[in-house]
Amino acid sequence: MKTVTLTIDGREIVAEKDLTILEVAKRSDITIPTLCHVQGKPSDSPCELCVVEVAGNEELMCSCVTLAREGMEIQTASEAVIAHRQERLAVISETHFGDCKAPCNLTCPGQINVQGYIAHVAKGEYEEALRLVMERNPVPFSVGRVCPRFCETRCRRILVDEPVSINHLKRFVADWCMSHEIDLKIPKDKPTGKRIAVIGGGPAGLTAAWFLTRKGHDVTIFEAASKLGGALRYGFPDYKIPREIVDYEVNTILRMGINIRLSQQWGRDFTLQDLKDMGYDATFIGIGATVDVPFDVPCTDKENVYTATNFLRMVNEGRELDLGRRAAVIGGNNIGMEVARSLIRQGVEQVTVIYPRARLEMPANQRNIREAENEGVQFLLMASPVGLCGTPEASNRLKLDLLRMKLGEPDKRGKRPVIPIPESTNSLGIDTVVSSLGQMAVNGVMKGGELEEQLKLSPAGMFVANPRSSQTSVEGVFAGGDASTGTKSVIQAVVSARRAANNINAYVMGVEKDPADNRFNFHRGRTFDDVSLKNFDGINVNLREKMPERPPEVSTQDFDEVKLGFTEKMARREAERCLSCGCTAFDRCDLKKLDIELGININKTGMGTVPVYPIDHSHRAIIVDRNKCIYCGRCERSCEYDALEVKCESLDEKDRPVGLVIDFKDNCVSCGKCVDNCSTGALNKRNRIVPIQAEEVREIRTTCPYCGTGCQMILKVKGHTLMEVTADPEVAPNYGDLCVKGRFGHNFIQHPDRLTRPLIRRQKGMPLEPVKWDEALDFIAQSFAKILGEKGPDALAGLSSARCTGEENYAFQKFFRSGIGTNNIDHCARY
Amino acid sequence: MTGLVTVLGSGAMTNTINGIVDSDVMLVIGSNTTETHPIIGLRMLKAVNNGSKLIVADPRRIQLCDSSELWLQQRPGTDGALINAMCHVILRDGLEDKEYIAERAENFEAFKASLTDCTPEWAEQISNVPAADIEQAARTFAAAERAGIYYTMGITQHTSGTDNVCALANLAVITGNLGKAGAGLNPLRGQNNVQGASDMGCMPTFFPGYQRCDDEAARKKFAEIWGTPVSDKPGLMATEMPDAITNGKLAGLWIMGENPIISDPNSDHARKAFEQLECLVVQDIFLTETAEIADVVLPAASFAEKDGTFTNTERKVQRVRRAVPPPGEARDDLSIINMVSNRMLGNNRGGYQGSRDPIYHTVPPFAAEIFTESASCWPALTGISYERIDEEGLCWPCPDADHPGTPILHMGGFPRGKAWLSAITWTGPAELPDEEYPLILTTGRVLYQYHTGTMTRRSEVLEESAPSAYVEMHPEDAKSLGLEDKEVVRASSRRGMIQLPVRVTDRTNKGLVFIPFHYREASVNLLTNDALDPQCKIAEAKVCAIKIEKIESESVEITLN
Repeated sequence: MKTVTLTIDGREIVAEKDLTILEVAKRSDITIPTLCHVQGKPSDSPCELCVVEVAGNEELMCSCVTLAREGMEIQTASEAVIAHRQERLAVISETHFGDCKAPCNLTCPGQINVQGYIAHVAKGEYEEALRLVMERNPVPFSVGRVCPRFCETRCRRILVDEPVSINHLKRFVADWCMSHEIDLKIPKDKPTGKRIAVIGGGPAGLTAAWFLTRKGHDVTIFEAASKLGGALRYGFPDYKIPREIVDYEVNTILRMGINIRLSQQWGRDFTLQDLKDMGYDATFIGIGATVDVPFDVPCTDKENVYTATNFLRMVNEGRELDLGRRAAVIGGNNIGMEVARSLIRQGVEQVTVIYPRARLEMPANQRNIREAENEGVQFLLMASPVGLCGTPEASNRLKLDLLRMKLGEPDKRGKRPVIPIPESTNSLGIDTVVSSLGQMAVNGVMKGGELEEQLKLSPAGMFVANPRSSQTSVEGVFAGGDASTGTKSVIQAVVSARRAANNINAYVMGVEKDPADNRFNFHRGRTFDDVSLKNFDGINVNLREKMPERPPEVSTQDFDEVKLGFTEKMARREAERCLSCGCTAFDRCDLKKLDIELGININKTGMGTVPVYPIDHSHRAIIVDRNKCIYCGRCERSCEYDALEVKCESLDEKDRPVGLVIDFKDNCVSCGKCVDNCSTGALNKRNRIVPIQAEEVREIRTTCPYCGTGCQMILKVKGHTLMEVTADPEVAPNYGDLCVKGRFGHNFIQHPDRLTRPLIRRQKGMPLEPVKWDEALDFIAQSFAKILGEKGPDALAGLSSARCTGEENYAFQKFFRSGIGTNNIDHCARY
Repeated sequence: MTGLVTVLGSGAMTNTINGIVDSDVMLVIGSNTTETHPIIGLRMLKAVNNGSKLIVADPRRIQLCDSSELWLQQRPGTDGALINAMCHVILRDGLEDKEYIAERAENFEAFKASLTDCTPEWAEQISNVPAADIEQAARTFAAAERAGIYYTMGITQHTSGTDNVCALANLAVITGNLGKAGAGLNPLRGQNNVQGASDMGCMPTFFPGYQRCDDEAARKKFAEIWGTPVSDKPGLMATEMPDAITNGKLAGLWIMGENPIISDPNSDHARKAFEQLECLVVQDIFLTETAEIADVVLPAASFAEKDGTFTNTERKVQRVRRAVPPPGEARDDLSIINMVSNRMLGNNRGGYQGSRDPIYHTVPPFAAEIFTESASCWPALTGISYERIDEEGLCWPCPDADHPGTPILHMGGFPRGKAWLSAITWTGPAELPDEEYPLILTTGRVLYQYHTGTMTRRSEVLEESAPSAYVEMHPEDAKSLGLEDKEVVRASSRRGMIQLPVRVTDRTNKGLVFIPFHYREASVNLLTNDALDPQCKIAEAKVCAIKIEKIESESVEITLN
């Protein structure tokens, strides 16, 4: 073999003669980026990403078509090379049009792969949908009921008709898995030997415990109450999150293997120092914000005056309360709405929410306000309480004095303050008053011990924790959830605690924390105004499924759940409304990868803004989106059958295609190799509708189960679901080739027709019925033993299978030969 | 396999898939390779692009014909005559590899004498292939430095299946094409692990590693390994089982991963027999037609849910790895066998019956352990271990841990010493067309479906690509019956009747019709003949006589795509 000696990036390399620089570099593990190269089939008009600098040449050279020669000195990453690559990428990216991530995914504080789980629902894969949600949110049962639904506000379907009911779908998959007794079998890492204490068993504590346990740590939750759940159990009344749902949710999390200590009040029963002494390597504070901001007007020390969290706790604990006929709720936050609705359910005839500003300015979610109003809650706006000192009339227990308010001049930030209207005093005769003026984690100073006293608190009574590291002012003590952020939604507590868990893991293991998702994103328009309506050509109006719920006149009579949940059919229909904005090539897109690597800021250099081509669904296995095509030609050149043609009417001034055509010829065998070679999401496998984002994807090498060629495949698996099949171009016997069955023929694995339980027919003529393994095994053992006893071993036979593994075939014949004593064993394809 | 064992002493593809591109001539006979083995077909097309010559022998104008130098359109069931005639021409003209024959073959003179009358003209009479084409095929094949033969069920699923294979082996031997790259005698296995299932002794007359059950030493060896005596009585072949049931000899049957009710010729006969069993256990991933009549159905794992090995058509032992857990309470087949074995035979593992694995629920002994045991009882596998095949598989024979495997067989000699050139007398198919059943039916696969369709028909891209059975028919035959393309017709044989649409095409010959066997709603194996090859007992699925009738009434209920 003739060789040449050259240097690449200062490394001396001896290479086979007549290879391209690109190939030589690859064999020496030097990566040169390319968007168009197909091994052995270089492009006629290269993408120029693979340029290198060769000493003595003024021009940069494309390494994919330049042969490596004796004595060459090559730079693969010089300034000039990088600059050229950046320039080329900017040009290519400028016309690339699509969304990397869907707006719903981007808007979700939990960064949950929303489009992904909706796609799973559309395919009937509810279990996998829930698993996907739980990769980032371990409390989907609750969040599916109470989430403020940031995602739905950005759903592009709004531009067609109404947003997809995303949260109802999340609730559906959670409930479906609960009613089908699905064990999600979520794995955890090997034990690390590290012990973590989690103070607080609410959404934040449970979340931190869940993620830390998955990382292999030994976690113990310390909870002050007698049951876990925190705000989920004591903050949200039953009609929002029923007790049995909280129980199930908590148990699902505990099944991961988490220690719990109940009725352990921090500061009273144990201190941070105790935890240290017990050997915990780190502590997470997730106690929520459960201390009510005091109702700071005169005479609130009377009976029948409550604060919100105390009141809700008593209601949720089922305490008998004498609340009278009329009640006032002071404050317009979400908790106030739950207080008001709980009062209605307690038989209070008139419930009035009092708030000093306008309705739109109430901090409560407007949906919650509407729901309260539907149930008969009244609102007294632009009014503020001044005291409870007045003597009530005989029919009332309390007299609440109020002042009317008006808006003042805007302050520096443009917000108009409320100012009392002088002498507008008014009063309200009531029997009960509940103040809901906000919550804090600690009122005053955290007591307990020295370490407790060192914990820094914010003026609003929250633990101060570094937003990046989640660290408090005490070494090894972290905080998250409402206890550090103040009262927010459950999903926000989850996000905060998840981040803390990541930080704690990095802290105790001495490793870097998992990187945050990259924010690089092609998009079809950031705001609704930016999105071309042409995107929605051909999409018909199809209104969202209506959530079945009990009417207010019925639902206010008890604390049972108001919203009843989607049926399976409704969920499937709703999921099919999803426009699948995000790119299903998210995990394999080379353009995005290189843009990120080379630091291209597409918001400055530009990206496509309007769709030029409709999406083509005419191929049986492949969906074509020419708007994403960068005209690299890899699909055409990788096709083994010459069955694909990519052409255009003309090129624009920067050599980009105009009037692009991607044509599958009649001899296309749908093998899908072109999709695996596509450098963007222009070509997509039709049955691969779930985008894979930052989630863990396992790649398992195995052998194709169809014909005898024995093609080597890579199964991409997420959770328990096979997402797609590809092949390694370096591995025999198929070297990256697969047929249509190899790439598209494995959906049967997840088919609902799969047998999932043993069946027996107790008597001839009777139907098959499902039984436990034990019974099936006994049935076989007894039947075979009877035949063996009566007719001898040769009255039994086995038919084995060329579909099963060698090991199974060996064991099968061994059973018949050594166990039964017969050679009656065959398989149908032995000829 | 029986045929290959007769001539060479072992039955397996002799060469590799990679080597195809190195061949000078390829004879593809009875294999619609681009549809049944697409990646191997791709390599053949690549070889043609590289200048190798392709000879296709097939009753239908399969896709490969379009790239072939020569297409021999034999009548179904006449392959033996065709091959004998090719051998005749080679010997007549002295084109054989004399040195090779002298060194590596025996029985040459008797063999040569047996071919005296097998002239191309004689074969033309039988096969309808012009004598001149047979002459050309023989000369092209014999002239090549490297000539490979590729065949599948089109050769074997005949009453003369064994003879056909022997005839092909003769052709390979006399042209010196065994034991070198780019050549060989290459049965392309139709299923992922045909080779492995055979290697592992799932055959009524062979223990693992083709060690004969009637061989005293082999019996002793296995009795020792397994710790129990083993029977010397040859077992029943699969195709003999239905009759054994009907005769009351067989009362209990355990079927693992097969669907014989659809895949067996004259399948109605098989169904009726199976229904008489005292106990039928079926283990599968779906409720197949066979499972529907079982007494016990055991939910099994798919390939993606278990560990083990498949041995591909080139004898390469390759890993199968579990990627996802089986659904519900389904279990991998090995664990099921272990559970039944434990339950029935007691404690072969210290009474341990359950599983400690919370996700896969596997029950020991596990695949790796079984593989080691199987490798220890057959020298050809002894050098293979899971560690060695982690990255890439190894082709057996691989006798020791340092052996690189054997991609090409017979480089030095044949297992039986010299190749036995056997005289083959051509015999026709068991059933030929007559007045009542005037058409020849042949069966096969299509690219988008597989076998009885239990898997492919549940994978939407595949099913939507080829959703319906059809009968392929020559335009003249269609015209004489007054049939239009896509018209639903009645196809019947002496054994059964199905209804399905016609596909009029000149890819099939006049007098010949083709029906794929994947479709339960028009299951062609209700029509096919279960007449058996006398030696290996394979049934003649590839040729029988049928008639096609127009359905006159208006009440056709089958909808067409």
